[in-house]
Amino acid sequence: MDDLLPKLLAFPPHPPPQTPLSDFQYDEGIRNQISTVGKIPEKNLLPQTSGGENALDVINPAINTVPYIYILLAHINAAQKGNKGVNWDTLWAKIANFLETFDGRQIRYLGKEFTQIIETAVTLARSNNQSILAIGPIRTALLRLDPSGSILTSTHLHLVELALEARDYETVLPVIDKFIYHFPGATNQPRPKFLCELGLSPTAYITPESKLTAKLNHQDVLEYFMYSGMVYIGLRKWESALECLENAITYPAKDVSKIMVEAYKKWILVGLLLEGKPLNLPKSTSSSVAKSYHVVAKPYETVAQIFETGTASRLKAEVEAGQKIWQGDCNMGLMLSVLSAYQKFQIRNLADIYSKISIPEVNNLTMSAETGGKLQSPALAEQLVQSMISEGSLNATLSHPPNGPAILTFGLGAPIMTEDQMQKELQASKQRIQFLTQEIKTTDRLLTYDKEYVKYMQKLKKNAKNGVTDQGISGPDMDWNPIEDEDIMAGVF
Amino acid sequence: MAAVQSSPSSPTQSRTKKGPLVTEPPKFDIESYVQNYKGRTRYERLLLIGTSSSFLGVEALKAAVVEAKAGKDTRRYVEACNHLQAVAPQEPEAVRDQAWVDTVGKQNLAETARLEAELKGYKNNLIKESIRMGNEDLGKHYQAIGDLPKAFEAFSRMRQDVSIPKHIVDVSMHLIEVAIEQRNWISVVSNVQKIRGIQSVVEDDKSIQQYIAAADGLANMDMGNYHTAALHFLSTEAGMGSSCNSIISPNDVAIYGGLCALASMERSDLHKRVLENSNFRTYLELEPHIRRAITFFVNSRYSACLSILEAYRADYLLDIHLQDHVDELYYMVRSKSIVQYFIPFSCVTLDSLNAAFAAPGKTIDKELGQMIARKELIARIDTQNRLLTSVPSAARSTLQATALKTAREYEREARRRIQHMNIVGAELDIRAGKNPGALDELLDGGILGSSQRAKAGGYQ
Repeated sequence: MDDLLPKLLAFPPHPPPQTPLSDFQYDEGIRNQISTVGKIPEKNLLPQTSGGENALDVINPAINTVPYIYILLAHINAAQKGNKGVNWDTLWAKIANFLETFDGRQIRYLGKEFTQIIETAVTLARSNNQSILAIGPIRTALLRLDPSGSILTSTHLHLVELALEARDYETVLPVIDKFIYHFPGATNQPRPKFLCELGLSPTAYITPESKLTAKLNHQDVLEYFMYSGMVYIGLRKWESALECLENAITYPAKDVSKIMVEAYKKWILVGLLLEGKPLNLPKSTSSSVAKSYHVVAKPYETVAQIFETGTASRLKAEVEAGQKIWQGDCNMGLMLSVLSAYQKFQIRNLADIYSKISIPEVNNLTMSAETGGKLQSPALAEQLVQSMISEGSLNATLSHPPNGPAILTFGLGAPIMTEDQMQKELQASKQRIQFLTQEIKTTDRLLTYDKEYVKYMQKLKKNAKNGVTDQGISGPDMDWNPIEDEDIMAGVF
Repeated sequence: MAAVQSSPSSPTQSRTKKGPLVTEPPKFDIESYVQNYKGRTRYERLLLIGTSSSFLGVEALKAAVVEAKAGKDTRRYVEACNHLQAVAPQEPEAVRDQAWVDTVGKQNLAETARLEAELKGYKNNLIKESIRMGNEDLGKHYQAIGDLPKAFEAFSRMRQDVSIPKHIVDVSMHLIEVAIEQRNWISVVSNVQKIRGIQSVVEDDKSIQQYIAAADGLANMDMGNYHTAALHFLSTEAGMGSSCNSIISPNDVAIYGGLCALASMERSDLHKRVLENSNFRTYLELEPHIRRAITFFVNSRYSACLSILEAYRADYLLDIHLQDHVDELYYMVRSKSIVQYFIPFSCVTLDSLNAAFAAPGKTIDKELGQMIARKELIARIDTQNRLLTSVPSAARSTLQATALKTAREYEREARRRIQHMNIVGAELDIRAGKNPGALDELLDGGILGSSQRAKAGGYQ
């Protein structure tokens, strides 16, 4: 082992040179090292050093990611073959540690190996019924691989699945909070000169060819949206859940997918929990798909309608009548949340009409959809109101006059922000939109590489030569405009 | 046309559906009321009163039977008889004169055949004017025997052979009359437009202006566009007399116009456009209580205005065109009164509102709640101190909130569109035709695959 070490640690140069390596040197160096290390037979990577230490303890994965990953894989393979010298427990610690510390630049060259490690971590955790343990490391690994988190990978899918299995939702938030802009397998990607370029867009190195992600199909993408929606549902973050589900239901499609319909059902219920009424489908939903939604998810839409305009008892009856449906769709939990939210919305709506009202009156004016009737006593109503005030969903105060029942005083509308808060919000919004504009420009540029678009431009040119004037969209430098872009895509859809 | 016919073309059908029963005595006398009209609308109005009013029912039905028997429409006669039989079988008019029905039926058939044959003859001779008049005769005949769709067709055919503007007006007026009976308001409006198109005729002849203004008003009122209806009625030239009494009487113009204006106009508008309108004043003089009601409203004496209206509710419920709209119009006037009453205050006690608007012994708390919920009244109720307080507007924070919301929506939409383009760019979009039975499978209930279902179940 000792004689191998210098070879293994040949790259990156240690200590780092005064002037950082150029991209070209870096690229050459790491490719050479990978081919050298790759040629070393696995059994040579297993032995301990002369000092009796394991190679995995000697090498720092944060600096020497390449040799580390090979040695790690050698150990994993050995463990799978039942080699006695390797202990799964210590190995797990190494895997977890590696996933949290590897070098983001070197890993770009090690797609196949990286995927293997992830797979091992997933299966290992699952087989020990300890899915929860794998979530943290994998999440960190994903963020190290692509700090922007804007491209979907097969690892994302593993991650949300693990999170749902383990019911550990909080941990994955840093990953699923990131909006997915890109998908592996885009045909219009320009080829990067060097994988190691520091400012390289993740879409350039996370590709099925680099093996950092598997090739996805539309079911995978939809499942990711759906599952991340379910994670948010688990956390009762309705707004984020709604957005994830919307990603699924607006998915560009000519035929509806079952997953989209499932997402639509959940979307209706989450919309109810968030807004208290059925929402309009997002504008970008394709119309043929929308039709199927309305057919297939009729029972859900009925519930939504009743939630908005009907009475508590009707809502309860409707939900009970459809119990089999909700259970079959695994939406019973959400449905129960909807039932319990009914009265809260009723109380919140009272704020539009009343400025001050006594608790017994609140009890008389609102019904619980869980029981289909009024709450049994004003005391229960007071409890409910109190819980709503304390969780911040009701802008009101409760007072107890010495003689008579408790009185609820509603505040005016939404809590008013201070100027400072407002400024911050506006600033944040501005930044996000500026970032978006950048994304829009990139997308626009990428679109010009698209085969269909190039063909289209060629045709235009030809027509122009033959004297046919350009109708509609003009040259390649057009400004981004949703409507025009829609037109271009219309041919592709 | 069939659809129009199947919808309540006759008042009976609509009454079987809802039909308010009016138990209070109306203020008018049947004899003089019907005197205001001529033509087929007389029977319709009588029948409506007969079937809706418990006070004048029998009297009106008897008059309806007589009215029907004077015409040629056997269906109407039978209908009126049946109604009368149900309410007052002992009346002599209640016994059906089957012989009359048969004879008139035969006469009608013969007449139809004769007119058709004549028309055919005219067509063969290719004399435009004769064809036009043949069609007109046929239309009138069909209208008289109650075959409205055919009458409509015949009158429409007249249009092919018009030669002078007057003819166009004739065609349209016939069509309007039939369409009003059919309650086909869309064709009423379109025919009114056609007459309007002929500038010269409308300007010269006051009665045509009155006719189309009234017809337009009626159509808009029945379609629920009260404001437009009010404007049309208000624009009617003075001195209608009996020229339009096959569809409307001058009294009706005053009532419809007054109520629609009251329900849809602001106080200043009411003052300017209704009370100071010299044309409309002549109509209002026929129905002084409407003028009083409007004056009270303009002078902010809302309860007086409402009580006048309330006193005439029974009358209006027995009006063929107003019946379906009384409640709606009254509700609008009432809620407008409440809103107007509240405008100058930032805070009003509920008791003073009760005193002004609620019937004795009742409260309007609930009504206020509904009005606020419908956003008609911008205020909030304090049930503890029994106050209605206005909601201060916070323009700045509203604007800021809207700005943030718009930005968020833009962000969402833009992000999603980028996402979609990249999905398509990666050829991940779902193409059509791969799986034609997809929807059927969905309907069969097998939503996610079993393995996915188990996973999803994990969440439960």
